[in-house]
Amino acid sequence: MMLILGITTSTSQVGCAIGGHEGVLGSVNSARGRRHAETLTPAIEFLCRQTRVELSEISAIAVDLGPGMFTGLRVGVAAGKALAYARRLPMIGVTSLDLVAFPLRHSPRRIVCALDAGRGELYHAAYRRSPGGVERLTEPVVASPEELAADLSARADEMLLVGDGALRYQSLFDSLRRVEMADVGEAYPLAGSLVQLAHARALREDWINPAELTPLYLRKPDAEINWTTRDGVSS
Amino acid sequence: MTMSNPGRGRILGIETSCDETAAAVVQRGTSVLSSVVSSQVDLHARYGGVVPEIASRAHVDVLVPVVAQAFVEAGLSEVSAGGESAIDAVAATYGPGLVGALLVGVSAAKTLALAWDVPFIAVNHLEAHLYAALLEDPDLEFPLVVLLVSGGHTMIVLMEGHGQYQVLGSTIDDAAGEAFDKVARYLGLGYPGGPAIDALSVHGDLEAIRFPRPMAGDGTYDFSFSGLKTAVVNHVRKHPEVTAADVAAGFQEAVVDVLVTKTQAAARSVGARGLCLGGGVAANSRLRERFLDVCLADGIRGFLPSRAMCTDNAAMVASTAWYRWQSDGPSPLDTGAHPNLGLS
Repeated sequence: MMLILGITTSTSQVGCAIGGHEGVLGSVNSARGRRHAETLTPAIEFLCRQTRVELSEISAIAVDLGPGMFTGLRVGVAAGKALAYARRLPMIGVTSLDLVAFPLRHSPRRIVCALDAGRGELYHAAYRRSPGGVERLTEPVVASPEELAADLSARADEMLLVGDGALRYQSLFDSLRRVEMADVGEAYPLAGSLVQLAHARALREDWINPAELTPLYLRKPDAEINWTTRDGVSS
Repeated sequence: MTMSNPGRGRILGIETSCDETAAAVVQRGTSVLSSVVSSQVDLHARYGGVVPEIASRAHVDVLVPVVAQAFVEAGLSEVSAGGESAIDAVAATYGPGLVGALLVGVSAAKTLALAWDVPFIAVNHLEAHLYAALLEDPDLEFPLVVLLVSGGHTMIVLMEGHGQYQVLGSTIDDAAGEAFDKVARYLGLGYPGGPAIDALSVHGDLEAIRFPRPMAGDGTYDFSFSGLKTAVVNHVRKHPEVTAADVAAGFQEAVVDVLVTKTQAAARSVGARGLCLGGGVAANSRLRERFLDVCLADGIRGFLPSRAMCTDNAAMVASTAWYRWQSDGPSPLDTGAHPNLGLS
């Protein structure tokens, strides 16, 4: 039996879940602020105890790759890589925006996921439903909420806007006629979605080499941005 | 004894507090089976200092390969065929340092401990630097006075026993290593500044320029280095003909003079039986030379850790963890990073 442990820490929430072909066996989710490192390890321990699954029974590790809050994101990716290494397990990486879109897969609308990127910006990507899940239509990008609002206002189809970034800048999107807002319960990537998506990939043996797994930052470190500006080189 | 089953006392240590990603396996605090350090110095060089976000990103990418290498070099396989873990505990630096960098090591270490079903031990980076000397010379006797000098810290610490510290004095502004970096940048010597100034000083006359000795003779064991850079800049403006080598040698002598004089006074006042150096600046050759002179003059047993043990490494983390495990037991799995952790 294939059991997957999933970890998501790319937003202000921390989550972990265990699941397999029976679906999600258990998940722990905490929305109590930015205490990712403090919360995650005890949460995994608790999750294993409550689902009566030993870490030795896990067959793959799935992690939320971001984009998201850099520091939190790294806590989960570092933990996932450590687990995969310690137990010699394959890994699967899933984009945070995919995780937010997945629970809305029954909506006929175009699904637009927008997560808070800080500094007045958003990470976003668009999806539509497809058999058994969602299909990503645009590559994840970082942009201002105003740019996203302008993009959405130019579209003729019906849209469902979701994510903590969408909620943060809700006033910009409220006036858009074809955009419906999803609520706060759907605004964050959930570890349960992660193990479900990862299970489908695991069946296809769509693994990622743990050594090559790296967070999806979408932004350069500040110093590099300054450096390229100073050199007059654009990236 | 609060220690949970110590087994062979084999501890995997992890260090990610700044710009070195390091892992080591140390047995019973003193026997170093392996010590691997992956330096990011090339990634930060063009910025003239450590960029926290770049450091954190690199830690995530290289930590597991560095840990794996530490097992290879120790001649151990992580888990035996029977499923038994080769190590008895996992330790990591949890502060002080860059918060994002620390979190990578702490998160990975706690998870490894959980996966191998062994205790996790959180280690104070400053304490680890103090233990670097004891690791290489376990016969050092207390009370011990340690001069801890690095890019982030400058302090004189009295160590009366395992885990018993008293900070006698510390810098009130820049760390000594920071002063080296700033002056090196001004002189166009690149980053990191310590080794560059050390190398150039060999060609200079250390008495050609007498820079001020800040806070020398003030009766405290505190330091101040921020004014020295200004003194260097002012001197070069007034005397554009000076050679960089003389400036470097004069500056280095001023820093070393204050460090050594105050450490000597501290050692005398507490009746220290041993005197040690620690931290990255302890690799400075002039400081090492003057430090040994003092030990000889005062008849105190001195110990200079090897250069590899002065700079950030994980062997000192694993060694410290062995003593902490015995005195305090394992650390909880909800341990986070403490960027401003002090010595107490």
